[in-house]
Amino acid sequence: MSTTSAGLEFHDVTVAYGRRPVLWNVDLTVPGACLFGIIGPNGAGKSTLLKAALGLVPLAGGEVRILGAPLEQVRSRVGYVPQRESVDWDFPVTVTDVVLMGTYARLGWLRRPGPRERSLAAECLDRVGLADVADRQIGRLSGGQQQRVFLARALAQQADVYFLDEPMAGVDARSQERIFRVLSDLRAEGRLVVIVHHDLRSVAEWFDAVALIDMRLVATGPVAEVLTPENLRRTYAGRLDVLDEIGRAVAEGGRTP
Amino acid sequence: MMEFDSTHLWMHFWAIATAATVSAGCALVGSFLVVRRLSLLGDAISHAVLPGIVLAVLAGGRPGGAGVFLGAVVAALVTVWLTNLLGTHAGLAEDAGAGVAFTTLFAIGVVLVSALASRVDIDPGCVLYGILELVPFDTVPIFGLEVPRALLAAATVLVVLVVAAALCWKELVFTAFDPAAARAAGLPVGLVSAGLLVATSLATVASFEAVGAILVVAMLAVPAAAAELLVRRFHRMLVVAVALGVAGSIVGYLAAWRFNTNAAGMIAVVLGIEYLLAALLAPGDGIVARVVSRESLRWRVACEDRLASLWRAEEGDAAALAPRTLLDRLAQARLVFGGRIVPGAAGGLTDIGREEARVIVRSHRLWEAWLGRHVALPLDHLHPPAEWIEHHLGAEVRGRIAADLEGDEGDPHGRDIPPEGFPSRPADAPTQ
Amino acid sequence: MILAVADMAFPAGWIPPYNTLVVAAGVASVGFAAGVVGCFAVLRRRALAGDAAAHATLLGVGLAFLLGGGRRDLPLLLGGALSTAIAALLALVLIGRWTRTRDDAATAIVLGVSFGAGITLLSGISARGIPGSAGLEQFLLGHTAGLTAADAMILGALSLLTVALVALFLKESTLVAFDPLFAAASGWPVTLIDYALVVLVAVMVVVGLPAAGAVLVTALVVIPPVTARQWTDSVGVMLPLAGLFGLVAALSGVAVSSAVPRMPTGPLVVIAASILLTISLLIAPRRGGLARWLRARRTVAAWAEGRLLEVALRLEVQGPFTREQLLAKAPGAAADSAFKRLVRSAAIEPVVTRAGTHAWRLAVWGRELAAERSRRLAAWTEVLEAAREDARGHLTIDVPSPEAILGAARMKAIRESAAAARSASGPA
Repeated sequence: MSTTSAGLEFHDVTVAYGRRPVLWNVDLTVPGACLFGIIGPNGAGKSTLLKAALGLVPLAGGEVRILGAPLEQVRSRVGYVPQRESVDWDFPVTVTDVVLMGTYARLGWLRRPGPRERSLAAECLDRVGLADVADRQIGRLSGGQQQRVFLARALAQQADVYFLDEPMAGVDARSQERIFRVLSDLRAEGRLVVIVHHDLRSVAEWFDAVALIDMRLVATGPVAEVLTPENLRRTYAGRLDVLDEIGRAVAEGGRTP
Repeated sequence: MMEFDSTHLWMHFWAIATAATVSAGCALVGSFLVVRRLSLLGDAISHAVLPGIVLAVLAGGRPGGAGVFLGAVVAALVTVWLTNLLGTHAGLAEDAGAGVAFTTLFAIGVVLVSALASRVDIDPGCVLYGILELVPFDTVPIFGLEVPRALLAAATVLVVLVVAAALCWKELVFTAFDPAAARAAGLPVGLVSAGLLVATSLATVASFEAVGAILVVAMLAVPAAAAELLVRRFHRMLVVAVALGVAGSIVGYLAAWRFNTNAAGMIAVVLGIEYLLAALLAPGDGIVARVVSRESLRWRVACEDRLASLWRAEEGDAAALAPRTLLDRLAQARLVFGGRIVPGAAGGLTDIGREEARVIVRSHRLWEAWLGRHVALPLDHLHPPAEWIEHHLGAEVRGRIAADLEGDEGDPHGRDIPPEGFPSRPADAPTQ
Repeated sequence: MILAVADMAFPAGWIPPYNTLVVAAGVASVGFAAGVVGCFAVLRRRALAGDAAAHATLLGVGLAFLLGGGRRDLPLLLGGALSTAIAALLALVLIGRWTRTRDDAATAIVLGVSFGAGITLLSGISARGIPGSAGLEQFLLGHTAGLTAADAMILGALSLLTVALVALFLKESTLVAFDPLFAAASGWPVTLIDYALVVLVAVMVVVGLPAAGAVLVTALVVIPPVTARQWTDSVGVMLPLAGLFGLVAALSGVAVSSAVPRMPTGPLVVIAASILLTISLLIAPRRGGLARWLRARRTVAAWAEGRLLEVALRLEVQGPFTREQLLAKAPGAAADSAFKRLVRSAAIEPVVTRAGTHAWRLAVWGRELAAERSRRLAAWTEVLEAAREDARGHLTIDVPSPEAILGAARMKAIRESAAAARSASGPA
């Protein structure tokens, strides 16, 4: 991965659910190889921004580039950890089965995972400290362990850019630390890790740079420069009312008062 | 199947009356099921009452009699209990659990009917789709009038349902809207839910003879779902659902008579058509209304873009764009006709047109300025969002944005933001 | 059970003709395929969408019959059934996309209305006495007696084809069924795979029509996967197992119905499948009711014994104790029988006192048991403090040995980190 080109660029990205805009004109550049946090209050559009980067929600306007290229060209270099609630944990698959899913995209249609994929999966499980539960059904894990399974699956994707959606939600302190340690290793290997995060307290401790989001980009840059009282006030008590009103008018195809 | 000639008008009257009564009861109960997302329950119960009815008849109950109702209610409770059991003990998702429970009970019912055909007077075909046409032949005398037994049963059930709904109206509505809050408020939520269950079984059994086990599903769900699309208030939804159900029964029966086919099936088809019409024509978010709203927005945007483009040309920035697409040309014609644009090849803005155009350009530049200030977009990224949002800004929000910009007169490109012109209300005037 | 069914269907000395054998083979492969394909319908929570499609098949059968000019040609009728089944699924998608109606009501609407339309059409056909229409009613509840060998071969071939498709795309289907969001993010055409799986369910519903009928065929698709799920935690095992259960159910249903005159096949197939499910729900290891009950009983018993030993150890400081004293300190429903077991296993032994009352004391063996239990409790306390996650799901009230569950090496690591934490926080 070239270290000179930006890892992730949002150019004037607007996302609408139906017709209603939920994320307005985000223009953001994330350099390569760092732990980058997307921070903001509930309903600020953090996860939406992540999904926009991954092509999981259609863009109403703007463009996303990853490693200097459109998503379709670099899809195989992108890893993803969705929110834990997004799947049915009673599904009849084992921990290893889930981690192997990280290799599926590279395998392509029809080919089955072989010994090479299995050893990669075992290695990834070992990295997140779950080697001893490899054959357990996924429902019989704790929340933190489930999150680490998802992380191991993303590791098995052997990506250059990782996207994690709220990986610390409902996760105990030991798992959190373990997850952050794995993520720092990824950064040390020259990879970009983008994390949607809600807990302001741990931001300074772990992240290199952050973006403050509240329906629009409020500020971005190194943690110390961004997490100023003024920026936090603008994010958490921001000028939402205008955006909200216009959003409603757009959704209804009418005008604001 | 419909082999009576038109001299038997009484027969048809009784059949229609039965269908309408049955349908009204189903629509009433179905409304509660639909708003509580329990339509599945109607599906499950309608299948599962069969073994209950058969066993009750075997034990000596008369079709339409109290014993049969009891048997059906018990069977319905067993289904729900089985579904819950499968959910809690076997970890089954609700749909799979219900699917397992009701198909099994229904299968048992069909086997009983087939195996004991000589001892039970139930036709296997009737089990599935009912024989409404035969209802008038099984009558009981009431004050000297021969009333069909099925109508009597259905009417009794309808009265019971209406009275129960009226008595427990408050509890029913609260529970339907927010079961958790209702429980917290001390309402007997469990009891209300059980009551709904019993009501569903009663409505189902009353319909069974006339329309069979499966078409009850249509009678429960379709009028209620159609009514939900048409009106927003729950008490109105009940009335509309019942009206749709009754109308569907009458029209369906007559259509079946005309085309010489099964009445219950035709009623379901007519109900389906009612639902389709409701989905198309519902005010506000019906399919037609949505298409109209989308197209009228496109139309408005085309007109406004046309005006703004002429305004910019007058400002001297750029030459006015010639209308290119068909929509643009139609918009041009509409604006000429409406007195916004002077007719002719080089037609400029009229006075009214200029006022309107100025407001649009003002919206555009205000939004560019707002974005430039609050979103930190590069200069070349400002125009596209403003091209979009300019059509949605009203006077009040424009005033607030202008106030927020604190009288900054220019947009980020250095052009003047035109003034508001004649405000709709004095308070809306921007601070200047 | 299968033997008994076979006895009923094939009396001694009776040699099944070629046709019967072919039909049986065809129905067996239909049952197998329905079970396999149904797995994804159940895992993806689409069981009832399949039901709506199944009820819609009747309309297609009627339309195809009219189009074919009154021929009772099975492939034609099933082709019609498939087209309306898919139309019903499409209607579900459209209702979801264009209206406020929620999923459950949409399913009920499509199911009820399409079945009504089918009944209307079939009744209309039969009322007009169109020749050949008498057999159409067999699609309601299923009737395999009328199948020819050629029909059965077509059904069997279609079934094997769907099974082959599922086996070929097992990896992709599992991925999309488990985590569609992740699948989409890694570039898989999720919508396409999803729709393909739904269409396969529609195909199976149609192929199962002659065996189980429109009203009940959904059970053939739903019940065997649910049964298989009781026995395994792995998709790879669940699919063939569901197929096997489906096969057994279909064959037994067909066999019984051929032995009993005028009995439709569908309900019998469903009842056979439900019997298999009931047995599985009772005796499946780990998930089964019996296993759960035994486990719960064992846990409660072990807890009661442990508590009695613990209390006995404390009471013994003041000399022998009576049964009543012991039970008063460690009450509970299982305490009485636990006491009896402890006496029987000689963990508690009687002492003869001067007053002649029965008194008891811990035997050496019982003291060891009590000591072991308190050691384990202490170890678990450490685990809870240092590595709470490891305790989750393992620390049950029968207090198992942490070493046996977590491994000696992991316990050692936990002990060390606990000790480190203690020494770190101690001085402060």
